[in-house]
Amino acid sequence: MVVKQAVILLLLAVILGLGVNVVSPTRIAYVGEYRSITKGGEPVIPPDADPGDPEFIALDMAIMDHQAGDVIFIDARDPEEFACGTIPGAINIPFDYLPDGDLRPYLDSAMSYPEEGQRIITFCSGEECDLSLHMGRNLQAEGYTNIAIFFGGAREWELAGLEMERREKCDE
Amino acid sequence: MRRIIDNDLLTFVSRLIIGGIFIYASFYKIVEPGTFARSIWYYHMVPGSLINLMALILPWLELVTGLALVLGVYYRGSVLLTGVMTVIFIVALSTAIAKGIDIDCGCFKASKSASGSAWSSLIFDIGMIVLILQLWFSRSRKWMIRGSD
Repeated sequence: MVVKQAVILLLLAVILGLGVNVVSPTRIAYVGEYRSITKGGEPVIPPDADPGDPEFIALDMAIMDHQAGDVIFIDARDPEEFACGTIPGAINIPFDYLPDGDLRPYLDSAMSYPEEGQRIITFCSGEECDLSLHMGRNLQAEGYTNIAIFFGGAREWELAGLEMERREKCDE
Repeated sequence: MRRIIDNDLLTFVSRLIIGGIFIYASFYKIVEPGTFARSIWYYHMVPGSLINLMALILPWLELVTGLALVLGVYYRGSVLLTGVMTVIFIVALSTAIAKGIDIDCGCFKASKSASGSAWSSLIFDIGMIVLILQLWFSRSRKWMIRGSD
């Protein structure tokens, strides 16, 4: 009896959910295309990425940029997470603490006044956080031209066995 | 204890609270399935090919069961479904917290950026489970359209 009722309610929801989507102005594909597993060679691209967003780069590219040495890596997470472990040499500009108003002077100062066209890569923890995306968009809006987002982030970096810079010991 | 659980007024109020929460929670998800699908994606617990189907069906299941609970139709079935859904939400949120996933839970509104509301959502869900258990064991069938079910 209970199960029968639950199944009827469930079927009703399936019919309504799939049916209303046909005529909904905000309809979505029944099967979406999402990539959630990273394999180093392919960039992780979040589903809320827009066509105009900065380039998303794979781990391979992030490593190459890191080795090149003349790239600014921005860790967009809070200082506590940054201290627990980040990509070596990265600077911390927490997205959540960006000031209101004119961002450009703040960002210029935080990056020690980068030259025009300086390559900048934003990242955060990884696929479960979107701070890197928002930071990348903000940089783009402020007129920086050579920006990339490493959406695989600190986690993909660490999982690949690469060196991490840890300022504090933290419990995982 | 039995008398409290079976109390007509308590059962009615619990129905309104739980049903109301589910109805309210379903609205933004029904209006913005794409946003809700992204919230699901950030949990990394559902295979990519199933995310959109879940984003389309789950909100309607919340609405249908919420309405059934408030109106008192298919009472036991709707209590069972709200319980199962809440347990799934608790598991998902706990897993997200354990993995260090720092996102808005996606429960009630579209989230524009990361914000750690997972803990408060988890506590909220656990409170809901208490009320749902009361509804499950309550023998009160007052103020229901089909109280005999």
